[in-house]
Amino acid sequence: MLTVGIDAGSRTIKIVIFDAEARSIIDGLVIDQGIKQGQLALNLLDKILAANNIQKDKVSRIVATGYGRNLIHFAEKTVTEITCQAAGIKHFMPDAVSIIDIGGQDSKYIQLDPNGNVHNFAMNDRCAAGTGRFLEVVATRLDLELEAFGNLAAASKSAAIISSMCVVFAETEIVSLLAEGVAAADIASGVMRAIASRVVAMAGGNVSEPIVFTGGVALVPGMAEAIEAVSSKSVCIAPSAQLTAALGAAIIAAK
Amino acid sequence: MKQQPEKINLEQWDHRYRSLQQAGLIEPDFGGILSRHVIDGDLRLLRLEYDNSVAALNLWNFLLTEEDRLFDSRKNGRKIVGAMKDLGTVPVIAYCFDELISFYPDGAWWIPCVMELNDGMFGIADSLGIDESFCPVRAMLGAFLSEAHFPIPDLLICSTGAVCDDFSAIAQRLNGLGFPIFWWEIPHRRLPEKDEHAINLPGGFTAPIDQLQFVRTELERIVEAIEQLAGQSLNKDMLRSGIQRANNIRDVLNRLRYLTFTADICPMPALEMLIAEMIAIHYCSDQNLAMVVLTDLLEEVRHRVSAGVGVLQPDAARIFWINPVADLQVMNVLEDCGGRICGTEYLFTHALDPVPVDIDPLDALAQMALADPMVGPAWQRAERICNDIKLFGSEAVIISRIPGASHCAVEGRVIATIIREKIDIPVIEIEVPPVSQSIQPALRTRIEALVETVKNRR
Repeated sequence: MLTVGIDAGSRTIKIVIFDAEARSIIDGLVIDQGIKQGQLALNLLDKILAANNIQKDKVSRIVATGYGRNLIHFAEKTVTEITCQAAGIKHFMPDAVSIIDIGGQDSKYIQLDPNGNVHNFAMNDRCAAGTGRFLEVVATRLDLELEAFGNLAAASKSAAIISSMCVVFAETEIVSLLAEGVAAADIASGVMRAIASRVVAMAGGNVSEPIVFTGGVALVPGMAEAIEAVSSKSVCIAPSAQLTAALGAAIIAAK
Repeated sequence: MKQQPEKINLEQWDHRYRSLQQAGLIEPDFGGILSRHVIDGDLRLLRLEYDNSVAALNLWNFLLTEEDRLFDSRKNGRKIVGAMKDLGTVPVIAYCFDELISFYPDGAWWIPCVMELNDGMFGIADSLGIDESFCPVRAMLGAFLSEAHFPIPDLLICSTGAVCDDFSAIAQRLNGLGFPIFWWEIPHRRLPEKDEHAINLPGGFTAPIDQLQFVRTELERIVEAIEQLAGQSLNKDMLRSGIQRANNIRDVLNRLRYLTFTADICPMPALEMLIAEMIAIHYCSDQNLAMVVLTDLLEEVRHRVSAGVGVLQPDAARIFWINPVADLQVMNVLEDCGGRICGTEYLFTHALDPVPVDIDPLDALAQMALADPMVGPAWQRAERICNDIKLFGSEAVIISRIPGASHCAVEGRVIATIIREKIDIPVIEIEVPPVSQSIQPALRTRIEALVETVKNRR
């Protein structure tokens, strides 16, 4: 039985085709999010099916998750990304106890029970502090792509202190720091440290190991290390970190 | 004309209202078609879903006609007491006098929500330097200056001290604008020292007797001020009668809460239950009518529970809700997401507890004031919440923060931690602005995820 999971996030749409019998991922794709979310997701579905030579009627069930899940009208069911992340991580790393998920608009701490189900969770406030959006704004201000931003942070000698977690205020602070001649690498490192502090605080400051880091921000070089530095715990980046919620949706679709 | 319980929108209520009228609906003076309030500017009503009972219709009409009652009272020469930052003590005293009515000016915090920000209240507060970094209760400043929503009270009484910092700042600004306020102080409730005589308070709290005596002295000053306004002395029998009337309303509300929160199928929506709790603490400017409205609601709930019917699916996740929401629509959202209310703590549980009747009546009211959850440490509030969670069998908790409200920021985390440690059920914190439309997808994700977690845990 083939199932599909679609994670319509705030920045990207992710799709996974899952073979329920073999318990394996057939394929996964990511595209940028846009205004016509439903159509974009449908195009993505067509694309991944064509690329894998699979007819649509061979897909037994589709589950949508993510911020835009209710706009995926061709999905049979919607499930939140919290539940889907847990299901996706359970597939990859059944021993995981904690998930830190930082996406474009949300950051989440998910505590798992011994069966890999959600036991408790916490999410960011409605502001963008501690999310990928925060990183994006700062990277744009420094005229860098996110990957280059992460690599730049690695060259930092002394992380700058970013005192405000409000994106707008932080942007003003960064302009001031640049004007004072603070190295861009130190600013990048300071921003990553600030996000890590915010996320660890959101988790109550006491994140249990093993910790799995997932979401698009997990792919930014140095971000996992920043969380490790703040939490004093080891953090493991999930395989296919951007796809875990879509995978979880596909696994739930198979149930 | 009895119908199966269900939630309906305003348009459906209009149809139902006309059918009820044709069937001979007998209405109170404040009755009428619900949609008439939209013409008055209450646009949020267009987006809400309501219980379809006549009792709920009366509840809404009673709530939405409070302004009329206040202006009528002024016209008829009744004196008006504004009981600010006090949810359960001053109104009880004021209603001991036939010629006085009391209301809750802080209730203006819902005007921007109900009028979908078209009221201009926040704009007035902004212009006075009380911006969005303060709690939405700053709308009260606009209400006072515009005089559009209530007449200026003859006596304004406000507690200060261990209550909300934001509110104290806003009330002081009001005072500075030329609205005289009678201030009374409520101390931070603390545990008695070893050598201090302790007193047990309603709600399971304890305090040193010195604190109680201090609060009693403050209440004596309040009584004196109200007596001067009424031109009449307050004797103990009058106060006992007033307490009894307050207790009667609290009794009805507590039965309503228990039946609704513990029923197998939710008999009354969260929104109507929130309104009912609010009415029970300040009576919507008419204590007698408040009793009638709440009693009718209780009867409706009783009937539904005994018939085994309700407004939600039987498997709805049983949620304990902490703090009132700035946007009423979020109570609908909870139910859309598969939850139901099974327990609440809207920061005024002391005003729902029965006032002791076996002690001096003013001492009894002093005890109630000192049992306010807001004036004690957050861990005490959390412990009471934990007891109620067990009583009502709640499966998860939503702590709803009020934007800008200073106490929410510090208390939410403490309460969440204690609940997780003591009861080990999922807890989330959300922040609800007065009009939440633009963040509803994010709110829904949090609430739906909580419901999914509850159901997975069963």
